[in-house]
Amino acid sequence: MVRFVARRVLFSVVVLVAASAVIFVLTRLVPGSPALILLGPEAKAEQVQDLERRLGLDRPLAVQYARWISDVVLHGDFGRSYISGLPITSEILRTLPITVEIVLLAFVFCLVVAVPLGIVSALYEDGLIDHVARIVAIAGVSVPGFWLGLMLIVCGAVHLGWFPPGGYTPLSMGLGAHLQSLVLPAFSLGIYYTAIISRMTRSSLVEVLRQDYIRTARALGLSRTRIVAYALKNALIPVVSVAAMSVGYMFGWAIIIEQVFNIAGLSRSLLSALFQRDYYMVQAVVLVITIVFVGANLAAEILYRALNPRVRGTA
Amino acid sequence: MDTKHDRHAGIDAHLGRRSFLRTAGVGASAAAAAPFLQAWTVEGAERVLTIAVPNNPATFDPMNAANHDAMVVSQTIFENLIEVDHDGNLQPQLAVALPKVSSDQKTYTFDLRDDVQFQDGQKFTAEDVKYSFEYVLDPKNKAFRRTLFDKIWRITVESPTRVRFDLSEPYGPWLYYMTKYMGIFPKGSREKHGDQYFKASPAGVGTGPGTFVEWRQNDYIALKRSPNYWRKGLPQWDRLVVRVIPEDSVRVAYLMTGQVDIISAPPPKDFVRLRSVPNVKGESKPTMGGWFFLGTNVKKAPFDDQNARKAVSHAIDRAMLAKNVFYDLVDPAAIPAPPRGWWFSKQANDLNDFDLEKAKAHLARSKYPNGFEFEMMIPSQPYLLDVKDAAVAIQAQLAKLNIRPQIRILEQSVLLDQMRLGNHVSALQVWMSPGEPLYMIDLIYGKDKGLSKASGYENPEVWRLIRDVYGAKDQPALKPIFAKMLGILATESPHIWMGFVHASNLWREPVKGFKVNQGLTMRVKDVGKA
Repeated sequence: MVRFVARRVLFSVVVLVAASAVIFVLTRLVPGSPALILLGPEAKAEQVQDLERRLGLDRPLAVQYARWISDVVLHGDFGRSYISGLPITSEILRTLPITVEIVLLAFVFCLVVAVPLGIVSALYEDGLIDHVARIVAIAGVSVPGFWLGLMLIVCGAVHLGWFPPGGYTPLSMGLGAHLQSLVLPAFSLGIYYTAIISRMTRSSLVEVLRQDYIRTARALGLSRTRIVAYALKNALIPVVSVAAMSVGYMFGWAIIIEQVFNIAGLSRSLLSALFQRDYYMVQAVVLVITIVFVGANLAAEILYRALNPRVRGTA
Repeated sequence: MDTKHDRHAGIDAHLGRRSFLRTAGVGASAAAAAPFLQAWTVEGAERVLTIAVPNNPATFDPMNAANHDAMVVSQTIFENLIEVDHDGNLQPQLAVALPKVSSDQKTYTFDLRDDVQFQDGQKFTAEDVKYSFEYVLDPKNKAFRRTLFDKIWRITVESPTRVRFDLSEPYGPWLYYMTKYMGIFPKGSREKHGDQYFKASPAGVGTGPGTFVEWRQNDYIALKRSPNYWRKGLPQWDRLVVRVIPEDSVRVAYLMTGQVDIISAPPPKDFVRLRSVPNVKGESKPTMGGWFFLGTNVKKAPFDDQNARKAVSHAIDRAMLAKNVFYDLVDPAAIPAPPRGWWFSKQANDLNDFDLEKAKAHLARSKYPNGFEFEMMIPSQPYLLDVKDAAVAIQAQLAKLNIRPQIRILEQSVLLDQMRLGNHVSALQVWMSPGEPLYMIDLIYGKDKGLSKASGYENPEVWRLIRDVYGAKDQPALKPIFAKMLGILATESPHIWMGFVHASNLWREPVKGFKVNQGLTMRVKDVGKA
């Protein structure tokens, strides 16, 4: 297992390095020199060249990449924003925890609702609750997140007044206020994967419950609770993998949720940087999101390996 | 008879249901308890005024600010000798009165207030005025607005409270540009703090009512009351929070729930309805400088053909756009002058206004008698006004003549760069200016000005008339010059003008003293809450 984890971690590092190179090159391929963006379109050619020299933009691409990645890895320095001139690292450190918190809350909501819902659907297959769960799942995957978010704001904030219409209230302003500000965004973000995971749990459990060893267990007189517990152990293996991956995907979806709910998180920084052509910021945030995604993928693989006895012990 | 297993199965199923219901019950109780938990805004004894703008600022440096909504921050931190009030009139600010102007209109002398301090406690003097203007005028400082003041060739400090400006030629409009495009900062502050300080955290370097506290990007900017502010009793807030909320509906939701006190740029389709909501007030005021236009490039086909431009201009029903697309928050105009402006010329307007028969006639005389296609760029994110619906409406109107605009959506800064470089064919835009009659005309149609390539138009007669405007002393002298200039522009139609936007705001009942600014940027120094 240790060797497996080490191999996976090494592979993830290789993936990250490759991804960082792709991100860097793609950013440089965007038309227009960053120096021209800083100086404005009426800058003279000599001014642009002079700034390019000072910023190291006239060096070969490989040299620029090496300098950038070494700054990131060794000093945690992602450079400065074109627009604000502020260090990107401090922006990321400020905004990343906000997005992480929303994603984790959405993930917890997802698991707390989806897994029990899926289990109950499987246990009462084709019953009323199964049909209701199916409808909820279809709605969850069909309804656009931004629309749902706006509707929640109208109902939950404007009409009912139970939640703020948006924004992020820090913990320093009170736990209640803090959680209130996260409920609607987390719900909007988590509903899609709640639907996916509940259906996956259901179908996986139904399949396992039909296995011969479950029939044998029933024949042996084991209690239903114990049977379901045994079945869940096997049924949840693929669910755990998908759930772990969903964390990475939620980071991507958070861009819409943060925009709708006006939350100054990492994903919204990316959107704002894209609109303002703040390439260094785009580069840095995409890299951070890639790290999160690769990390989630790694966690899924390790969990799968740990839970699945059929692959445990194999190379 | 139930077997033990059946009983167990029944009990287990019952327990499963019970667990599920328990969980659901806990969740429902939590949701029900939510309103009784601590409120999400905390406002103690501090008087906090919260406003919402739709766009992120790129800078707080007054000499580089471009976003008219976000200018509320720089205009609360910095001041100038003269300001433009809500109705577009010049008022003294750091000067005790409007300047004395020499008979040749090339010398402006200001007497300054003696009771002004910067937010860091330094006394304001004429040296600071000289320093600030010279900093903006120095080309190596790359002030975005330098060219607006480049007729100033000498600034002389005559005493700590008197400063004289000598201009190379008559140029009255520069007084109108002080509020939006410049500010006074302490002598030596640029060298001491650096430009990045002014851009991102200009604390203590203005004379305005608000001192910079913090800027959380994509979230808010916070200012605090300056204890040194020279207008006693102002501001009526201790803390000003400027929230950045790009989504129209979310901005409105913030207002409806009391999370913000005033919002700018309310969605036109909801404006009338929202004004009638209890505890909400709203007002709109025509701006004199909010241009809504189709910026055509006369150096590129098809708009290198004057008849093609005229055909498009005559084919657009501006009144319909203003009423049905913008809900009367745009004043239709077919010339670069607002209908409510004293320099508006109905005769010139009629030369360009909606008339399908004239449109057909011009099209027939053009190089494209059977119609043509052209690229029309629009911004992906609204700035001042969302033009997407108008673009579609214009497509429908032009289709009657088989003129087919192909809409291309670009990010606004990219689109602006294309226009500045003259790489565009056409772009549907909303641009804001201080409301002075000549600013935009000179900037776009003047000789070698900052946005001359945005039209590619070169007409020495128009350049001569622009110089004549600067030399004229009063409205009776200016009116015929403008009439002639607008007549030429209407005849040749380098751009297709649609109208002038309104500045509109919504605010909650406790807010007092707020007035909509015809210059669009919210003014909050004398705003308070009951």
